[in-house]
Amino acid sequence: MSELAQPSAGVVIALVLSAALFTIGLVGFLVRRNMILMFLCTELMLQAAAIAFIAFGKMRGDVGGQVFVIFILTVAAAEAALALGLVVLLYRRRETLSAEAWQELHE
Amino acid sequence: MTPWYLAAAIAAAGLVMVLRPGRAALRRAGAVIGLAGFALLMGFGLRLAGASATSASTPLALAVATVGVIGAVRVITHPRPVFAAIYFVLTVIAAAAIFLMLEAEFLAFALVIVYAGAILITYMFVLMLAHQSPEDEIGRIGAEDYDRVPREPFVAVFLGFFLLAALGSVIERVPPMAADAAPSATIRATDNLVQAQQRLPGMQAGEGTPADQPDNVHVVGLDLVARYPASLELAGVILLMAMFGAVVLARRQIELGEDDRRKAAGMGGMVLDLPENERGGA
Repeated sequence: MSELAQPSAGVVIALVLSAALFTIGLVGFLVRRNMILMFLCTELMLQAAAIAFIAFGKMRGDVGGQVFVIFILTVAAAEAALALGLVVLLYRRRETLSAEAWQELHE
Repeated sequence: MTPWYLAAAIAAAGLVMVLRPGRAALRRAGAVIGLAGFALLMGFGLRLAGASATSASTPLALAVATVGVIGAVRVITHPRPVFAAIYFVLTVIAAAAIFLMLEAEFLAFALVIVYAGAILITYMFVLMLAHQSPEDEIGRIGAEDYDRVPREPFVAVFLGFFLLAALGSVIERVPPMAADAAPSATIRATDNLVQAQQRLPGMQAGEGTPADQPDNVHVVGLDLVARYPASLELAGVILLMAMFGAVVLARRQIELGEDDRRKAAGMGGMVLDLPENERGGA
């Protein structure tokens, strides 16, 4: 074990924060009934994934983790644009942001 | 493995209490319990890191992580959507601070600019466009029912409890890394940098940056272009398609009258004596 480095305190803190943020994002996605805030909770989960990428990249001394976070940012921006476009469309149909207004879709 | 389940259960109990739209005292107690669970999780995590691994910035990182988690909890509990979005900015800034401590400086600032500056502003615009907070009879701004009352908090938090405990157990099993992995990656990045400087005559080492110590922006940029060129192109395609998609989705079909159509074609209106405001209402 002497030649193996334990993960540093900063890396462990980032990993625990990442786990907590991802969990909170998942709970929020299930709990929230406002469509826009449900998408905001997916952004929270993407954020958690980005933190985990950076932490593991730091631990391995590889910048590939940081590069992947750039792609996460790209996909998050694209997703925000499309999701918000959809939400605006749905809002015009029902005049409410409540996800329950579209409940008949799964019946 | 069990300590993670214990800590996750405490955090989950706190989260359930915070989620219930009940008395304020109960919610405050839930916040305290949830923070205690989070502190336990952090404690178990830090026990994994060697005692020598803690540095001077550890307390600061812990404080920042706590702020980030508080912001995230407010995102999922705040009854007013605009404030939830603002709390999300707080979480983004905390994540950027963690990035800084992990020596990912470029990503830290890119995160603040792209997330807090661009994506969140878009969210705020749509929230304010689509959403008028209802007022009660004395004019106080309230919250919609679907923002105040959570859907199935017990089931959701139960799921979250298992996820958190499982993630914690995975963190416990993160394999220790060979200590020489980090230097080799740095050496490779330095080699890339030296090659790039030879190829590009205009590119100089940054002011005050020794050539053998490439800074974060150089390393990330070279890695992005040298190792993932196809992904970079694909990212551009994704952004272009998202732009098209957003335009197509959000376009509103407007029925134009005959007069307006003539005007749009540059032929001038046939009915000239209508006042401006009546014509605009068509």
